[in-house]
Amino acid sequence: MPTTKLGFIVQRAGYKSENPKLALTHAIASQSVEVYLNDGDIVTADIAFIGDGVLNCKKDQKAMDIYKLTSTETHIKMSLLLDLNVMVCKEDLDRLGMTENDIVLDAEEFGAELTVKVVPFAEITKMMEGMNHLLFF
Amino acid sequence: MKLAVFVSDYRLTVDTLDRLNPEKLGIILVQNGVYHATTKENGKPSSLLNKSASYYALLDDLETRGLGNADVADNVKVISYSDIVDLIFNEYDKTAWL
Repeated sequence: MPTTKLGFIVQRAGYKSENPKLALTHAIASQSVEVYLNDGDIVTADIAFIGDGVLNCKKDQKAMDIYKLTSTETHIKMSLLLDLNVMVCKEDLDRLGMTENDIVLDAEEFGAELTVKVVPFAEITKMMEGMNHLLFF
Repeated sequence: MKLAVFVSDYRLTVDTLDRLNPEKLGIILVQNGVYHATTKENGKPSSLLNKSASYYALLDDLETRGLGNADVADNVKVISYSDIVDLIFNEYDKTAWL
């Protein structure tokens, strides 16, 4: 029963380019590939926000009101709903003067059981070491 | 020259802005440039805000990113799209986009 582990690393701020949202949409899409897999095979996806990428996690984004686009915030919540592992680098949050109160932490309104994990970069490094494929955005 | 410069990135890879020296300079923060107005990296405001210039940040781009008036540095004025049009036509001779 092979498991393919995908790691998506988001290191850029959102909206100026599609990059961060592509990371999230790819990670979410990876959960719908069962049709192409052999019985018992699994694909898992972890998402980590590092560097300026942590700015994507700011809550209360009004992209739908203003740009008529789904927000990165919504995509993070969808990831949690699909039980993807979402991590945010603590050192980068601290560096940019942000706290856990500033960022999306859960998607309770959608019934998601997982929450965003604020972790030291060392833990993100550990995650990256365990991946079969790493994709940087 | 009265120059309005649009800054749309948070990380600037060139120092063009430092070299500009018009008689009147306006810096309009849009897109990811609005992070200059709000982010205090390592506790310090963006060095971009240290110039002798008038600073503006576009409200729409702030709100899209989960930011608002309360997050913006004191020397930055929060403005709308129509304010930008007024600035271009009434306050400045030329505009540039960095």
